[in-house]
Parts: sequence; C-alpha cells; structure tokens
Amino acid sequence: MKKNAVTLAVAALLLVIFALLLFTYQVRQSEVVVVATFGKPTDTRTEPGLYFKWPWPVQSLYRFDQRVQTFEDKFSECYLADHSTLLASVYIGWHISDAKAFYPKFQGGFIDAAQRQLEGMLRTAKLQVVGGHNLADFVNSDATQLKFSEIEKQIQASVQSQLDANNYGITIEFLGFKKIGLPEKVTDAVFERMKAERNKYITEAQSEGDKQAAMIKSSAERQAADLLNNAEATAKRIEGEGNAEAAKTLAVFQQNPDLAIFLLQLEAMKSSLNQKATLFFDERTPPFDLFSKLPAANSSYTK
Amino acid sequence: MSDHEHHDHSHSPETHDASSQALSEALQSSFFIVKLAMGALLIVILVSGIFTVGPQEKAIVLRFGKPVGSGTNLLLGAGLHWAWPQPVDEVVKIPVTPTGNLQVRSTVGWYFVTPEQEVAGTEPPGGATLNPAMDGSVITADRNIIHSRATVTYHIDDPRAAIFNFGAGTNHSFNLEGVSNALLNAANNAIVSTAARFNVDDILTDSGGEYQASIKRRITDMADAEHLGVAIDLVEVRSVAPRQLADVFALVNSARQNRERLVTDALAEQQRILNTASAQANSVTNEAETARNNFVQSVKSEADAFNKLLPQFQSNPRLYEEMELAKVMSVVLTNVQDKIYLPQRADGQPRELRLQLNREPQQPNQR
Repeated sequence: MKKNAVTLAVAALLLVIFALLLFTYQVRQSEVVVVATFGKPTDTRTEPGLYFKWPWPVQSLYRFDQRVQTFEDKFSECYLADHSTLLASVYIGWHISDAKAFYPKFQGGFIDAAQRQLEGMLRTAKLQVVGGHNLADFVNSDATQLKFSEIEKQIQASVQSQLDANNYGITIEFLGFKKIGLPEKVTDAVFERMKAERNKYITEAQSEGDKQAAMIKSSAERQAADLLNNAEATAKRIEGEGNAEAAKTLAVFQQNPDLAIFLLQLEAMKSSLNQKATLFFDERTPPFDLFSKLPAANSSYTK
Repeated sequence: MSDHEHHDHSHSPETHDASSQALSEALQSSFFIVKLAMGALLIVILVSGIFTVGPQEKAIVLRFGKPVGSGTNLLLGAGLHWAWPQPVDEVVKIPVTPTGNLQVRSTVGWYFVTPEQEVAGTEPPGGATLNPAMDGSVITADRNIIHSRATVTYHIDDPRAAIFNFGAGTNHSFNLEGVSNALLNAANNAIVSTAARFNVDDILTDSGGEYQASIKRRITDMADAEHLGVAIDLVEVRSVAPRQLADVFALVNSARQNRERLVTDALAEQQRILNTASAQANSVTNEAETARNNFVQSVKSEADAFNKLLPQFQSNPRLYEEMELAKVMSVVLTNVQDKIYLPQRADGQPRELRLQLNREPQQPNQR
C-alpha cells in the first residue's frame, strides 16, 4: 500500500509538471505576449510573470520585444524655406505600445520590418518639417530665435500621427537630430569666408593691441601728471602755511626795522658772495677803506 | 483452457511462493532504483542551479520572467550563486567593465581618422572641401564649420531601466548595447544642437567651459527624459578648427597673443609711470614739508637772535653795524674766489670797467 502511495505521488508530480508546461507560460521582463485563440488575438500580457493558457491548438502565443529600439535615417539633403540646403540625419527611439495592433502588420522579423516602415515615414516628415524652416532656425547665437528642439518635436509629432493613423501600435519615445551639415560644394565657400574673417581678426588684433597699449600709456601719463600737479599744489599750500606761520614772528622784527633790514642785508651779502664770485672793490669798501689811509706814494701803480 | 488449468495445477505450492518472492524482490529493487534515480535527479536539479559570475560581468535572475531584487541589488556580482533551474529561474549575464564606468564618444562632429591614426595621434590631410559623407563636422551659430566631439563617461544607476527598457535590434537578448546606443545618440544630438548656438571662437576657446558644460547638461537632461537609467559622470569635449584652415586660425591666435602681450607690456609701463610719478609727488610734498619746517624754524631762530642782538644794537647802532659789517666782509672776502682791487683814480673819479659778457663760451682759436 505504501509503495502504491509513492508511485501515485510520483505520477501526480509528473502530471503536475506536464500540466504546468502545457497550461502555463511565462512573460519575461521586456517582453509583450499576444495570446491568440484559434488564430485571433484575444489577450495581451505586458507584465512579467507566470500566466495560464489553453494548450495548442486552442491558444497560441506571439512574443515581441517591447524595449525601446533606436535607429537613424540617412544623412540626406533637405531644402530649406530660405532656399539653402542642409544635410540632416535624424535618430528615433520607438517601442511597441499596442502589440495586438502591431502583431498583424509586422509578422516575422518584426523589428526590421517596422523600422523599414518607420524610415519611410521619418524621411517624409523630415523633409516636410525641415523644409518649412530657415537655416537661422537651426543655427543661431540668439537662443530665442533657435528652433532646434521645436523642429525635432514637429518631426516626432508628424511621424507619430502617421503611425496612429495607420494603427501600427508603435509609439515614438524620442527623436532628435543626429547630425546636420552643409553640402560639400558649399563647404568650399564657407572655408573662404572663414579665411577672410580670420584675416580680418588678425588685422583687428594687431591694431587693437597698439591702440589699447597707447591708451593705457597715455592714461598713465595723464594720471602721473595729475599726481605731480596735485603734489605741486600741496607743496604750495604747505609753503603758504609756512609763510603764514613765519609771519607770526614779524612783530619781533618790527621792534627795530633798521636792525632787521641790516641783518637781512648782511645775510644776503654772505649768501650772494660765495666762492665762485668775483669782487671788485676800491678803497671806499670797508675794510679796504684802510688803504685810503696809506701814504700817497703807494698809489703809484694805479692806472 | 484446460491446458492452462493443467499448467496451473502442474506447479507445486513451493514453486508458487518462490515466484512471488522473486517478483517481490524485483519490484523492491525497481523501487529502489526509482528512488535512487529520483534522489539523483533531485541532486542534479539542485546542483544545476549553481552558476558563477565572472569579474567582467554581472548577473540578473529572472523568476518566472520577472527580475529578482530591485535597484542595484538586482545585479549579482562576481562569485558563486544559486538559482532554481529553468523554467522557474533564468540567469541573464551582462558584460561590464571592471570599474563599472562606461564610455561613449560622439561620432558625428569629427573628421575621419583610422584607429591607427587615432592611436598615433596623427591626422589625415584635409582637402580643399569637406566631404560630409566621410568627415563629420558641426555648424556653429555664426555659420562656421568646425570639428567637435564629446567623450561621455557614465555608469548604470538603474539596471532595470538600462537593461530591460532598451534593445539593440536583437530580439530577447539582454545587454547594455541598447542603452549605449541611446546615449550615443544623445551625445551626438548634444554636440550638434549645442554648437548651433555658440559662435566659433566661443567654442574653440571655451575659456569659461560654458560650451562643455552646456553639452553635459544637454546629455544629462536627455538621459533623464528618456529614462536611460544611467548617470553621467564626465563629459570631455574637444574642438578644433577645420584642418583646411588650421594655419590661418593659428595666425589669429598668434595675433591675439601678441595683442595681449602689448596690453600686458603697456600695463607694466603704466605701473612704472604711476610708481615713478607717485614717488616724485611724495618727494615734492616731503620737500615742501621739510622746507616749511626749516623756514619756520629758521625764522624763529632769527627772531630769537634778533631779540638777543637788539639791546646791543640799540646801545650803539653805528658801532654795531660797522662791527658786524667787518665780520661779514671778512667771511665774504675769504670765500670769494677772485678779489680785484681797483684803486681810486687820481682825479678822485671812480674807475670805469668794461666787461665783455657772452653766454656762449669762447671758442678756442684753431689757428
């Protein structure tokens, strides 16, 4: 009896495993599974986990990758509203948002097939949207005039509306310019213009350097002159203050002006008749007036 | 039937017991083998769940398709791990770098360089024009063409988003290629869109780092908006003038350097002039101060002397004057270089002197 119980348990376990394999399925993270009952899509599972299903041929499973896929279109010429030409390439990030709608349209190799479809829509939208703008909308130092992000959003909206209109079950997550450039024949002219600009900058730099240096030097000389003039004015003021202070002693000299003048004359004479002076004098000049008291015979050498 | 019955009755009871016993033993041994097989199967199942993760990879366990763990705990590091065997658990291995830091480099703004040239630091010569199919470039706000590229260093901060939200065209395989592609697109877009609003000189000098900071900001914003699950650590940007114009750009740099040198020299000269003038001004005011002090002191001294001399003078003015004059004359006559005595003429009239005065010194006679 015990042996029979073991046998039954083993059999039941095998049966359960078999039934689980037959009646359940897993959805992995990143996957979306479309459940088709007798070939017709009846359910969609987007969350990972273990699910029940009827075995084949009642129900069949179709698995899709619902991760964001990125691809880019060709780097191709676009004609702008201002009649200039721009080369542009756009990348796009998309994912399957409605697997039931996506499944019947892209069976087999669905990612490549979907991207081929998307590329055509993207090319059309890019040409239309870019063609409605000027080059200044793409490149501009004034941020308020720049419409780079706006153009990207317009292209994304255009592609998304085409996808929605055809019910492809695809959502664009992001879209942006991968690359913009100028046609090769235009680059030659751009290089010539850039070269001319550079030569202008060289001349400007040379003259500006001379001009700035001259301005700095003249400004310095003016400031230096101001400094010296101020110093001279201060010196005058100081001298005036000295004279005013000296004038306070005038009362002393007023006690006897004759003596004061005499003393000043003596001082002036001492100062003026210094070592390099030549003095002519005769016997009337003291102390040589003593000569006049000599005997007259000594005057024989006078001319 | 009769044969059969005959056959049954032909066996003895001992023979029947022996057969039953043999069958019983056979069944027992069969059950033993089954139990042994089940035990072995259980061991095989348990052992098959052991897996190793290498140093250059991380692992994620999917249980019934759902990742086990959250945040960075989602990733199992190097070592020995165990998981239920399939179909319960599925082990997914992701290749990573040893440091965990990853890099992408923009591909659109730089001219074509072979890997060998990249390593050697050389570059191919530029033609007269730029072939957009071959050489990448960016257009600046002032409509110039230059080359610019960004190297982005990043790490995964949300593995669930980075691994399970982005694919690379390969159905149902897990790796970081998808998120790497998305980040590369963001880097390319950031280079192109940022260069479009900066002038060429602002990009090439980028003295304040504003261009590089703007590119990093753009990439970070896009990574957040697109929920890439990565954190941007570093963005290094390199920008150069087109090879076709490298010489003339170098000349501009040289001219600007020369301008800076002229200005620097002028500033140094300015400083010298101002320092000299300041010193002279100080000297003038100091001299004036000194002169004032001397003058005032001198006048005071003279006043003191005057007060002392006044009584002597008042006692006999004539005598005093003559004595003082004689003293001064003695000093003057000692100091004077030339002293010429002109005696009075016999007729008592003053002697007449004629002096030839000339500011220019007389030329020596050549003859």
